[in-house]
Amino acid sequence: MTTYLLRRTLLGLVTLGVVTMIIYGLIRHMPGNPLLMAAENLDPSRRLTKEDQERMLRAYELDKPWYVAYVRWLVKLPRGDLGTSFRERRPVLQVIGQRVGPTLLLSGLSLLLTYLISVPIGLYCTVRSSRLDERLTSVFLYILYSLPTYVAALGLLVVFYLKLKDTPWQLKPGMVSDDFAMLSFSGKVQDVARHLLLPLVCYTYGGLAYFSRFIKANMEEAIRQDYIRTARAKGAGPVRVLILHAFRNTLIPFVTLLGLTLPGILSGSIILEQIFSWPGMGMLFFEALNVRDYPVIMGLTLMFSVLTLLGQFLADVLYALVDPRVTYT
Amino acid sequence: MTLRSPPPEPLTAGPPASRPRPPSRGYWSEVWRRYRQKRLGVLALLYVVALSLVALLSPAIAGTKPVLCRFEGRWQAPCLGYFVEKWEDRMPVARKLRKRYSPERLKEADPESWAIWPLVFQDPYRRVRANEWPGRPGNPSGMEGRPSRLNWLGTTPTGVDVFAQLVHGSRVALLVGFVSTGIAALIGITLGALAGYYGGWLDVLLSRAIEVVMCVPALVLILALLAVVDKTTIWHTMVVLGLTSWTGIARLMRAEFLKLREMEYVLAARALGAGQARVMFRHILPNALAPVLVPITFGIASAILIENALSFLGFGSPPPNASWGNLLKEGQRSLSMWWLVLFPGTAIFLTVLAYNLIGETLQEATDPRLREAAK
Repeated sequence: MTTYLLRRTLLGLVTLGVVTMIIYGLIRHMPGNPLLMAAENLDPSRRLTKEDQERMLRAYELDKPWYVAYVRWLVKLPRGDLGTSFRERRPVLQVIGQRVGPTLLLSGLSLLLTYLISVPIGLYCTVRSSRLDERLTSVFLYILYSLPTYVAALGLLVVFYLKLKDTPWQLKPGMVSDDFAMLSFSGKVQDVARHLLLPLVCYTYGGLAYFSRFIKANMEEAIRQDYIRTARAKGAGPVRVLILHAFRNTLIPFVTLLGLTLPGILSGSIILEQIFSWPGMGMLFFEALNVRDYPVIMGLTLMFSVLTLLGQFLADVLYALVDPRVTYT
Repeated sequence: MTLRSPPPEPLTAGPPASRPRPPSRGYWSEVWRRYRQKRLGVLALLYVVALSLVALLSPAIAGTKPVLCRFEGRWQAPCLGYFVEKWEDRMPVARKLRKRYSPERLKEADPESWAIWPLVFQDPYRRVRANEWPGRPGNPSGMEGRPSRLNWLGTTPTGVDVFAQLVHGSRVALLVGFVSTGIAALIGITLGALAGYYGGWLDVLLSRAIEVVMCVPALVLILALLAVVDKTTIWHTMVVLGLTSWTGIARLMRAEFLKLREMEYVLAARALGAGQARVMFRHILPNALAPVLVPITFGIASAILIENALSFLGFGSPPPNASWGNLLKEGQRSLSMWWLVLFPGTAIFLTVLAYNLIGETLQEATDPRLREAAK
C-alpha cells in the first residue's frame, strides 16, 4: 500500500508539473498583458507611456521569458506563495479564498440535494419498472439530462426575474441585494435564499437526472442476480431486499462517481456563475482570464488539477474500501 | 466496416446438416436491426437527417440571394455565397449588383433576367430594410421585434431575423459536431491504439499524456487555447474542441487493443506474416470500433453544447456568425426579448437530445451483454 501511495503521489506531481507548465506557457502567449488590459479601460489621457510600461513590466517580472517566470513561480510554490493578483493587488490565496464560500454554498447544497432526491427516484423507478409512471419519469429525467444548463438558466431568469417582477415570487441574480447589510437576520436568510434558488436549481437538475438514471441502471442489473432470488426465497421483505440486498451492492460504482464529483464542488461553473452573477470560483476564473491576471489563473488551474487528481485517487481508494476484492500493492 | 468475402466451400464434406442454416448476418447489420427496434433512436436519427437537410439547403430556405438566376445569358447561383463568400464574389451578377439582390434590381440590370428566390426573404447576418423586397417593410429592431407574420421567430435587437439565423446556424452546429469529434476520434483512436498495441514505455508516456489533458478542466483548457488565437473563427473553435476531447476515446481504444492483441486471430495474422501496421489497422481496429462509437456520438452532443456555450460566453467566433449561442448571448443582454432565448435554446436542446438518444440506442444495440440476453 505504501509503495502504491508513493508511486501514485510521484506520478501525480509529475502530472501537475506538466499541466501547470502547459497552462503557464499558453496564458503568457495570449495577446495582451495585464497592463494593457487594465490601461485600455482607463481614459486615453492616463494611458501609460512606453517607459512607464517597461518599468512596470519589469516590476511585475513580465519582461522575462515565460519559462523563466514559470520556474520562479514553481520555486515559490512549496512555501505556499502563489504570487499576487495583478488586478486586486492582494495575494492570490486571499483572492481565491474569498470566492470559496459562495461556490461551496452552491455546490455543497446542490450535491446534498442531488443525493437526497436521486436515490429515492432511482429506487422508485426500479420498483415500478416499465409501468406508465416509471416511463414518464424516465423520459422526464432524460429530457432534464439533455437540457443545457445555460438554456435552462436563461429561461428561468426570463420567467422568475422578469415576468414575475413586482410579485413576491420574483427571484434575483447576484448573491445578495444592495441593502443586504441593513436587513435583520431572518431577512438576510430570506434574501440569500431568494438569490440562491435559481442557480441552485440549475446547478442541481443535470446531476440529479444523471444520478437517478445511473442508480436505476445499476439496480436493474442488481435485482436480476441470484442472491436477490435467494434473499426473497428466505423470506426477506421487498423493502429489505431492495435496499439492504440490491442497493447495497450498487454502491461500488456509486462511490467511484462520488470521487469524480470532487473537483466540481470547488471549481464552480463558469457559465452558471456568469449568468447569475454569482461571485464564485467560476466567475473569478472568467474575470481573471479576461484581464490576463496570470497569478490568479495559475492558482485556479493548480487548484482544479490537484482536485481532479485527488478525486481520481479518492475514487480508487474508496473502491478498495467498499469492494474487499480490490487491493492495491 | 469490413467487407468479407463469402466463406469458401469446405474442402472435405462436413457432417451433413440436417437443416440448411439461415445466412448469418454481419455484425453491423445485426446492430442496425437492433437499433431499428428502438422508436426513439430512429426518431433521433431522423431529426439529425432533417437537420442536415436544413443545413445543406439553408441558403434556399432563408436568404436574400437568389438560389438560381439567369443573368446576362448565364446561369448563376449567388446563394452559394452563404457557404463560401469567394464563390459569390466571382459571379458577374454579384459584381454588377454589388451583392444586393432584388427582383427590381435584377430586372433593371438585365431585363431578360429571372431568378428563383429563397423561401423566406431574410438574411442571417444583417437587417433587411424596407422595400428591399418590393412592398415588404423593413425588419423591426429592439422590443418591436417580437415574432410576427414577417419575422416568424422575431428579430434581434439590431433587426436581424431570428429564423434565418437559426436556419443558417444549423450549419455551424452540424459542422462543429462532426469536425471536432472527427479530430478527437482521430487523435483518440491513434494514440489509444498505439498505447494499447505496443505497451511498455510508449503506453506509460501516452497514459500520462491522457491524464494530463484529463486533469485540466475542459473549459479552462479550451478558453486558454482560444485566448491565444488572435481572431477566433469557427474553425479555431472546432480544432480546439477536438484537441481537448479525445481522452475518453483514447482510453477506451487502449483498453480494447490491450484485450484484442492477445486474441488468437491476431496471433494467426502475425504468423501469416502481416506487418505491424496491417495487424493494427486491418485486423484489430475494425473489431475495436464498436465500443468507441458510443463515446463518439456523445462527443458530438457535447461538442455542440460547448461550442454554443463558448459563443454564449463571448469566446466563440465574432459576428457575423450564425451560431445559436450568439443568439442566446443577445438574449441574455436583453432578457425581455424572450424569443432570443426560447428559440435558439430549443434548437440546441433538441439537437443535443437527439445525439444523446442516438448514443444511448447505439449503446444498447452494441452491448454484448444485452445481445446474450436476447438469444
